[in-house]
Amino acid sequence: MKRNEVKNLWKIFKAGLVYENPLLVLMIGICSSLAVTSNVSNGLGMGLAMTFVLLFSEIFISAFRKLIPNGARLPIFIIIIAAFTTIVDLVMKAYFPALSKSMGVFIPLIVVNCIIMGRVEAFSSKQKVLPSIFDALGMGLGYTWVLIVISAVREILGNGTFAGIQVMPASYTPILFFILPPGGFLVFGLLMSINNGIKSAMKKREALAAKQLPDQRNAKENA
Amino acid sequence: MKSTVKLGLILAIFAAAACASLAVVYQITAPAIASQEQDSLNTSLKELFPDATAHEDITAAVTSGDETVKIVSAYLVKSDMAPLGVAIKATGTSYKGPATLLVGVRLDRSITGVRVLDLSDTPGLGGNASNASYYVNKGNKVTFPGQFTGKYITDKFEVKGDVIPITAATVTSKALTKIVKVAGASAGVWLESMALGNATPSATSGASTQATAPATSGAASAETTSGASK
Repeated sequence: MKRNEVKNLWKIFKAGLVYENPLLVLMIGICSSLAVTSNVSNGLGMGLAMTFVLLFSEIFISAFRKLIPNGARLPIFIIIIAAFTTIVDLVMKAYFPALSKSMGVFIPLIVVNCIIMGRVEAFSSKQKVLPSIFDALGMGLGYTWVLIVISAVREILGNGTFAGIQVMPASYTPILFFILPPGGFLVFGLLMSINNGIKSAMKKREALAAKQLPDQRNAKENA
Repeated sequence: MKSTVKLGLILAIFAAAACASLAVVYQITAPAIASQEQDSLNTSLKELFPDATAHEDITAAVTSGDETVKIVSAYLVKSDMAPLGVAIKATGTSYKGPATLLVGVRLDRSITGVRVLDLSDTPGLGGNASNASYYVNKGNKVTFPGQFTGKYITDKFEVKGDVIPITAATVTSKALTKIVKVAGASAGVWLESMALGNATPSATSGASTQATAPATSGAASAETTSGASK
């Protein structure tokens, strides 16, 4: 029973990272992800800020889920999410002013990020605290790694740098296209297709393993 | 009816709890945010006026001569002995949204430097205005804001004339140049009203004194003359 529970939590976590990745599979919250990913530090900062808000909103909403009346649930969700977003915004302004400046309006806009609203409504308002934590971490980190990958590709090709450090040889002329919005769409689309490829390959392998399992059992019994 | 009131009450309780927790976080972070802003202001003033030791807020007394450019704040920068010049933080509309610049003007009406504080224009195009390794003059390694250093506030400030634009970003170049020009002009008006500096003794017409101003170089001459006029 206990092992099963751990396995279940792991499954929830993995769902956010790969199988139900908010950006690549559920395709929600794309707007912010394309807007801030012109360099890696922005991508990382946005991902972590978003993960923090998601984690604490899910914990709170899951903990208070029995006290939140169905009729007023959406405004209450918004209040909780907005409170945590404002906290992130204030903390960033106080201790990471450069990051807060470069991300501008996108931090306050986390409030209306549909990933948070979606997960809170679909998951944590119906689940216990522990699964909610794993859902938030999976979804948040799933969002973060996609942002980092998109921004790394865009920054290296479009500016010749990685997190502000020059990585391409000086003779390399940056391809401006990648830093501009269309480049973001292109990289995002390619990433989505790669993720789909990996997913279908994994499914095939699982199907194959499921087929082999009874065969092995039969072999053992015969021996 | 009863259930509506109940829902409202529950909502109010959640809202009150959220407000209380935000108030606590705000109390903790407010001093850090204020000191952060003070620090960044001090460093940028120091960059414009290396000898600066103090500054005085003169925002209320400085007005913009153009309605598209707004003066955010203005400071009279002083060394231990005498005033050095005026730093003006001004904002205007650029290609993708507001752009904020800090413009430093010496007592002799020359620009000591321009800093791009906030700009959201396209990275790689207009965004190059805040890129320290993008040079509008590759030979002399002069950046776009860097080229304003040493100009006089009475200069033309004409893009493609005395101001070199950023390649493929004419809108940004024009917008930023305008902010510098307007900020410089308002600094000039304020300096004049306080009778600081030597560029425009009240009786003579502007043009002739402006011609002499470039000949005398640096803040030293400005200070001596301002002392003499007193």
